[in-house]
Amino acid sequence: MRSYRSSLVAVAALLCLLPAAAGAQEFSSLRRTINAPPKPSGTTPRTADGHPDLTGVWNGLGDNLLGVPNQIANDGVSIDSENSSHDIATGTPIATFPRNATRGLNNEQAERAASLLRRVGSNRPVYKPQYWQMVKEFDQNANEEDPSNNCMPAGIPRAGIPSYIGQYPNYFIFIYPGQGGLIATQTMYRMIPADGRKHTPLEDLDGTYTGEAIAHWEGDTLVVDTWGFNSSTWFDQIGGYFHSENMHVVERFHRDGNTLTWTATVEDPDVLLEPWTTTPRVALLNPKADAMLPESLPCSERDLTHTVTKEHH
Amino acid sequence: MPKKTRVLQISMIAVAAAFVFHNAFAQNEGKATSGADAKTAAAGETMDRAKILRAAADALGMIRWSDIGAGATRLPGIDIVNTMEIVASGTIYDNGQPSTCEYRAALAYVPPSMRVEITRKGGDAASQHTIQTVRENYAWNESEIGAGLIPGKGTATPAMPAAKARLLQLWIFPYGVIKAAIAAGDKTKVSMENGDTVITLPLSGSLAGVTATATLDSKNFITKVETRDESAAPSNLGTEVEYSDYADHGEVLTDIKSPGHIVEKQAGKPVLDLRVKMVDANDPYLVFPVPSNVKAAATASASKTGGN
Repeated sequence: MRSYRSSLVAVAALLCLLPAAAGAQEFSSLRRTINAPPKPSGTTPRTADGHPDLTGVWNGLGDNLLGVPNQIANDGVSIDSENSSHDIATGTPIATFPRNATRGLNNEQAERAASLLRRVGSNRPVYKPQYWQMVKEFDQNANEEDPSNNCMPAGIPRAGIPSYIGQYPNYFIFIYPGQGGLIATQTMYRMIPADGRKHTPLEDLDGTYTGEAIAHWEGDTLVVDTWGFNSSTWFDQIGGYFHSENMHVVERFHRDGNTLTWTATVEDPDVLLEPWTTTPRVALLNPKADAMLPESLPCSERDLTHTVTKEHH
Repeated sequence: MPKKTRVLQISMIAVAAAFVFHNAFAQNEGKATSGADAKTAAAGETMDRAKILRAAADALGMIRWSDIGAGATRLPGIDIVNTMEIVASGTIYDNGQPSTCEYRAALAYVPPSMRVEITRKGGDAASQHTIQTVRENYAWNESEIGAGLIPGKGTATPAMPAAKARLLQLWIFPYGVIKAAIAAGDKTKVSMENGDTVITLPLSGSLAGVTATATLDSKNFITKVETRDESAAPSNLGTEVEYSDYADHGEVLTDIKSPGHIVEKQAGKPVLDLRVKMVDANDPYLVFPVPSNVKAAATASASKTGGN
């Protein structure tokens, strides 16, 4: 009887893991020993109007928010080889050593390491001094305070590079699949006009998670200018970086062959001492000609009530 | 064969197979990641230095890796210490006179920065609370945290002559010693002295000319750091700090070990004796923007001295 019960538990545990495994399967065979941005290859296709064509599934290295290696890069640390890394914002070398072959990590150690690895970069927004303690406390208490931890949209700029871009003459479609695991967020999409229209006055907008975005080209760079946000998101996965409804975000997308580089500059004069620009992120085009975005599983937060410490996950 | 025996045998074979596989895997991992060691094997001292610095960094929990959510990816370990906050209480000695104090230090290694807030007990309030900040070559005193960044919010008083002594405090902290020793490459020497491992390294940047000597205990923790200013000019950069009672002092546990007792001496006399209450080593949000009046003062000072 006991073994039957044990089997049931094991099967139940396996069933819980299956959806995550299915989602990760496509990239689980992708063995990387570095997280440095990929070098571009191939030519940059262009649309009939001469602009670079950004259309495609941009998850060749997995979703840019998913997995510790991508998150380390997002936070501004480039691991360039097995014995060389650097802080992207300052160029400062970071000591790098082979893994300790005699000491494996248990889950707790891996989680603690992941929390640190995602915070080590120096590129941090500079808040007004009266908010320094608040940001620190938000970060310390992120398990409860992070507004995206309860299956809410990640918002902009936290969502980073969309996993799918559809480019049309007068608008763009961006799709950001929802995530589970380290980040539990809802699927998000944006329909962004590129027809020369101007922003609605800020005071006439009701704040939303993705705001009011309009796009234009500056040379070969697509610039997406967004305001009209609510204040219910943070602008990164770590750090407790909150913002006000007065946030204004300018994103820049530049395609080079099979790579897409993204940065976002955040202005928020209510809380920031100065504008902050994210560390550039580079996505790789999914190499499969028939690449599709799989359906995201419904986000259902079940872990939070079981959290007993302030350790981050 | 009785069924029980057969099950036992199968189990033993499975365990043995798992053990062999595990060992083979571990050995392969060792081979795959031992490139740096192999390169340095010919140069005996270089190899020892790399191993000793690695062991000292590992003792502190500085070198970490994790591949959560990334399938077959296997990144090397990197130094994860950047920002840190230390809360302590103890005794501060001013010209030999002891005062009990509360101590809070915020530090960052990229860029090198430190803010030390000390509240002495007793005496008049104005002279008892100090906030001394440094970022790279800028040093200033703050009337409140973040003073001088927003008009009307506190006063930032330039204190450029103090920059080197304040930066020294950052680099003689155990993590700073390891970082500086790794950065100094083959200028860092390791030796055995009286049965203890000793690391000797030159500091760099504005602290060029200062040599630090760190002593390790049997668990590879740094227990003592001494500095010596080799330049001809007189300075206050010669100091001695003892570290003990290493543990994870974080409210959020990080597996980073920090000293629980810190004793600093100058010319053999104590200047600071601290018991650590809390260390936030989870790279907390700590920033050190330089107030505009401090930058202006530094520029004026540099032009007065011809840029030196």
